[in-house]
Amino acid sequence: MRLSIFRFNPEKDEKPYMQDYEIAPEQTDRMLLDVLVRLKGRDDSLTFRRSCREGICGSDGMNINGRNGLACITPVKGLKEPVVLRPLPSFPVIRDLVVDMTRFFKQYHSIKPYLINNDPPPERERLQSPEDRAKLDGLYECILCACCTSQCPSSWWNPDKFVGPAGLLQAYRFIIDSRDQATQERLDDLNDAYRLFRCRTIMNCTEVCPRHLSPSRAIEKIRLMMVKDSS
Amino acid sequence: MRRTATGLRAWLVQRVTAVYMLLFIVFLLFHFLLAPPDSYEAWHGWMRNSRIAIPASVFFAALLLHAWVGLRDVLMDYVHPLAWRISALALLAFSLTAIAAWVVRILLMGTA
Amino acid sequence: MPVGALTSITHRVTGIVLAFCVPFSVYLLDLSLRGPQSFAQVVGLFDHWAFRVAVVVSVWALAHHLLAGVRHLLSDIDVGSQLHAARRSAWIVNLCGVAVALLAAGALL
Repeated sequence: MRLSIFRFNPEKDEKPYMQDYEIAPEQTDRMLLDVLVRLKGRDDSLTFRRSCREGICGSDGMNINGRNGLACITPVKGLKEPVVLRPLPSFPVIRDLVVDMTRFFKQYHSIKPYLINNDPPPERERLQSPEDRAKLDGLYECILCACCTSQCPSSWWNPDKFVGPAGLLQAYRFIIDSRDQATQERLDDLNDAYRLFRCRTIMNCTEVCPRHLSPSRAIEKIRLMMVKDSS
Repeated sequence: MRRTATGLRAWLVQRVTAVYMLLFIVFLLFHFLLAPPDSYEAWHGWMRNSRIAIPASVFFAALLLHAWVGLRDVLMDYVHPLAWRISALALLAFSLTAIAAWVVRILLMGTA
Repeated sequence: MPVGALTSITHRVTGIVLAFCVPFSVYLLDLSLRGPQSFAQVVGLFDHWAFRVAVVVSVWALAHHLLAGVRHLLSDIDVGSQLHAARRSAWIVNLCGVAVALLAAGALL
């Protein structure tokens, strides 16, 4: 199997470069991450993040043949060779396939990703009807791998001002949570020229989400709630 | 208030003007396919009729507002140095206002 | 590039093209209403092939921009906002825009 991998070690390299690898496939290679881990056994300078190796931790988001995805759930079978691996586009590179997620998480924190409820906590948990709980399906599953935000042109142009698809999906997750009392503040916070309205519904986010979630739809729903709220 | 003006309100302006222009363009298309004006007199008489001139003026107002929101979005995405962006937005606003005045002169005040 | 991204960037490019068409169109409208002679002058522009090509390009830009806009308006109200429907409608928009341009080319060129 042939791979072409983005390499950059800021301590040694002046410029990033693409390094070609050739590795004989083995029976145990089911996912791309399996191959990467074996490659690392051969060349331990190759750097990437991974942890759960089953698509839950969101560590190994990378650009695979031009499309963001998680190496651990990308089957080796069917990948066009050479497999071109790059770090998540538009994110600052720390080393090889490892990117700096600081700005991404700053945007995520800016939408207050936690329940705001000023009622005194009940003795047991705050209850929710099954219907209200069902509204969170397709939202809470986000693993914050940043595949969507990294592939979103609106985030490329204004990464510091536009919250980005991942953050906005989570914003909607709290906006429609029946237990949250800050709906109005949340809507007001997103109502400026940048935080939400840079979205042009390009839908790259939904295209690449490894969890098959739809940030673009969540953004449209927030806009509709704003329309209802303002009339 | 200022925040709403550039967020939701701009988005609503874009949508509402789009729907109006869509209806007007469909109307124009049918009109020109079914009864194309074949002479200056027919064209002039049609455009001078207030039943056309007024909706047409509304169309141009919608068009210029729509262009403002859309081009403003383009500039916000690609032009980052503040001085450049302010200049570009000012030039855009000036151009659109000038076109608006021109259209008013053509459609509502009539030409000599 | 996903097909939706192509529809989207073309929506933006055609929007810019159409914006540049506005002053020219207003000029032609002005001219056409000034009198029989200038009206004939505007009609006579269609005799130039370059003008007809420009019209065909503008018709394509308008068709694509308008159809992509309708796609967005429908998506806003939850029609076709699922990924597979959005991909299909993106294809439809791209192809119909070109089809309209071909119709215009057939009529004018």
